[in-house]
Amino acid sequence: MSSIDQTSRPRSRQSLDADRLLTLACVGLPLIGLILFFAYPMVIVFLRSITVADGYGIGNYTEVLGSAGFWRATRHSLTMGGATTALSVFLGFILAQGLYRCAFRGKWLIRGIIVLPLLAPSLVQALGLIFLLGRNGVISRALGIEIEIYGFWGLLIANTLYALPQAVMIIGAALVLLDARTYEAAEVMGASPWRQFRDLTLPAARFGILNAAFVCFTITITDFGNAAVIGGDYSVLATEIYSQVVGQRNFNMGAVVGIMLLLPTVISYSIERQAMKRQQAGQTTGQVAYQPSFSPLRDLSIATVSLLICAGIVAVIGIVIYASFVKLWPYNMSFSFKHYNITLAGGYSSLWMTIVVSLGASVGGTIAVFMLGLGLRRLPQALAQPIQILAAMPAAVPGMVLGLAYILTFNSTATPLYLLYGTAALIAIINFYHYHTQGFLTVITGFRQLPPALEEASGSLGAGLGRTARDIVVPFVAPMLVSVFFFLFMRSMVTLSAVVFLTTPNLSVAAVTIMRLDDAGLTSQAAAFSTCVMAVVCVAILSMRITLALIGRRSRNKGMA
Amino acid sequence: MYLTVRDATKTYGTFTALDRVSIEIEKGEFVCLLGPSGCGKTTLLRLIAGLTELDGGEITLEEVALSDLPARKRGFGIVFQSYSLFPNMSVAENIGYGLKIRNVPSSEIAARVTELLELVKLPQVANKLPGQLSGGQQQRIALARAIAVDPRVLLLDEPLSALDAKVRATLRDEIRQVQRSLEIPTLMVTHDQEEALALADKIICMNHGIVVQAGTPEDLYHRPATRFVAEFMGSSNLLSAEDVAKFYPDLLATRPASTETYLACIRPEQIELIPAEDGTATVRSMSFLGNLQRLEVDSPTGPLLVETHGRPCCCTGDKVHLSIASQDCTWVLDDADQPKAIPA
Ligand SMILES: Nc1ncnc2c1ncn2[C@@H]1O[C@H](COP(=O)(O)OP(=O)(O)O)[C@@H](O)[C@H]1O
Ligand SMILES: [Mg+2]
Repeated sequence: MSSIDQTSRPRSRQSLDADRLLTLACVGLPLIGLILFFAYPMVIVFLRSITVADGYGIGNYTEVLGSAGFWRATRHSLTMGGATTALSVFLGFILAQGLYRCAFRGKWLIRGIIVLPLLAPSLVQALGLIFLLGRNGVISRALGIEIEIYGFWGLLIANTLYALPQAVMIIGAALVLLDARTYEAAEVMGASPWRQFRDLTLPAARFGILNAAFVCFTITITDFGNAAVIGGDYSVLATEIYSQVVGQRNFNMGAVVGIMLLLPTVISYSIERQAMKRQQAGQTTGQVAYQPSFSPLRDLSIATVSLLICAGIVAVIGIVIYASFVKLWPYNMSFSFKHYNITLAGGYSSLWMTIVVSLGASVGGTIAVFMLGLGLRRLPQALAQPIQILAAMPAAVPGMVLGLAYILTFNSTATPLYLLYGTAALIAIINFYHYHTQGFLTVITGFRQLPPALEEASGSLGAGLGRTARDIVVPFVAPMLVSVFFFLFMRSMVTLSAVVFLTTPNLSVAAVTIMRLDDAGLTSQAAAFSTCVMAVVCVAILSMRITLALIGRRSRNKGMA
Repeated sequence: MYLTVRDATKTYGTFTALDRVSIEIEKGEFVCLLGPSGCGKTTLLRLIAGLTELDGGEITLEEVALSDLPARKRGFGIVFQSYSLFPNMSVAENIGYGLKIRNVPSSEIAARVTELLELVKLPQVANKLPGQLSGGQQQRIALARAIAVDPRVLLLDEPLSALDAKVRATLRDEIRQVQRSLEIPTLMVTHDQEEALALADKIICMNHGIVVQAGTPEDLYHRPATRFVAEFMGSSNLLSAEDVAKFYPDLLATRPASTETYLACIRPEQIELIPAEDGTATVRSMSFLGNLQRLEVDSPTGPLLVETHGRPCCCTGDKVHLSIASQDCTWVLDDADQPKAIPA
């Protein structure tokens, strides 16, 4: 009996055929990347935060916790986070309600306009507000009043504009899930529209709202661009790290503040993930989409509010573009290209550099997350789970903290990694790992929709993993890969917080140049540079639309012949 | 023997999905794996396909062990319940995919695809995408794709379960025809006993991860080995040995000499009803099913199910005598509590 057991033990587990090697490479390479470019720098930043003159200790923490400046920045960050969250979730709910539960025309316009702030570096909202409401702003001058836009209110508006698109998308996603039949049932049972809203819509959307709140909060307290441009004396944690590191060259203290900033974002992110799971768990299949019918009072009021918000967004972004073409703001408003002649050292080189870096991040990143997704499907759950958790972690880390971690890790001659310091490659790498989670989760969602039976059928027909990946998997997840590619490209084009520490006089990126131009008082040139960045991003979006349409048409056309 | 599975064992954590399962398939044979949902049929099929790894035991094809061979090198064909056509490929590309992998020239592939489309009676759809076909059509294409490469074994995992009754019946016959004409050794998983009876040369009946009985459809229907098989393969009346001794002593002759509990199994159509004023049983209800009637009869041993052909012999409320021929009674092992393999 025992002899049979021994001979019949499968030997394939030991044999390393091509497929196993490929699986290993698919998981192994991205995993090494994650460890080297995410986990390791995060460990370093933590170690630096506890490094004191004579070894390790909590000296830095006691010093930071004892400083009034830190507590003021923390208070400001939390207040700002709370206020922005409340405002953007409130407005986001109205907009989402309008988009998905009301009947009026022109929704495509609203959809298009609210995402505008995502297409530009976050400091563009701040610039726009200054052109509108600053001392020389069109509105302040027209009304003849002095508005103090630098500080809390300016920052609140700028941050809200930036967080709003996320809030609308997340809450909208929850509202779309609501089943028309439940509303019909409620209607038949005699529930008034208000009751339906209170008893059906709100409870169903609560996880979406919660989720949106945490996302908005995280975005706000980790944003650097708006705070740097319009924050004025209103110091927040992100600007505090910047002044510790860049102003006072105090890396250990910067690390401490970074770790402190990590606490709320990690907590917020983990709650958000839970909320997301609950929302997904609540989904049922076989739903009937809700078709709103026109209800004057509800629809007209919500349409008006939506229109006002959109007008505000268009004004803030539009004024930046407008100001970039004006000869001498606000005294000589005649048309001129002169601000497009960038006088700061380097000129447009940082724009080209940013495009190259963004392409690098998006090509490399798309390949890496695809490989990881492909490999993880073939790993046992016990192994795949921890890797998945690691891959989803970067979203909890603020860009400032990651950037600081990079400078501590790569600007040290202790390891050969030093070779990367000051190269464009490192900037591409940090951009990818900064947005790793979103790209990874998008690809994983795509893979979830791919029935395992397709790969098994292909395998049974004789295809190896490489062939199956090329012929079956890539075509299936292609739309997802295209989205990830352009997402990484666009975020890399506009991101500031993660890269602000890694740029050198010879190697800068667009968002940093805009900040420098604004710092140097060349606000109109900053506007001109921002306009160029927005133009590149718009071209990218157009390309993405066209690519996705082509993919869609190709698969449709195939069936026509 | 062509394909042999010997003592195949598969566990998931502490749960044993398959416990030392042995089956055999001969050249050209159509074998059905039959059992209730969750009994391990799919697991066994996937082990044979090489999509899941064995924990113990051995699978051999023409005396050669398969355990080292990954799925893609086994040269089997597989059809899943969920069609599983490649959505990005046209019907023709789907069918030709296996040949393309084998570097067959494209002209040959085209010819073979046309031939197979004729075979599955869908000559018009070559350039359509899977999404444009009905479920039944998709499953035909999946079948064509699986047999395109002349598989050494054809594996079908509930290929008909997702289809509606009418399509299922036609496709069932077509699968049988195709298999007969090509003589591909075929293993089909199903939980539908009617399907198994209609298709199989041999049925392997499984429960709780073990093979309960294997044999021809006639064997399993008329000579079930255990209570589970008797109940799974259509309706049956099960009587305890004590009741048989009291009311139908003639049937005791064939009872096995064993310490274990055996029940007498009598199929509904094997009970003859003889209307009589002094009958010991009463017809409680009757349903008319066209060519036959199904009756519920209250007898001294409890309610019995009876099926009669032709004109109705009696009406509800009639008194009847029951007659059972001794060769029509099969003694089955009572495995209701814990399923056991039949003693070899
Ligand atoms: N990958 C798996 N992990 C854990 N349990 C499994 C897995 N696959 C199958 N099982 C379990 O094994 C049993 C047999 O499954 P299966 O072979 O699919 O049954 P069926 O006879 O319905 O095809 C079921 O109880 C199922 O829950
Ligand atoms: Mg199954």
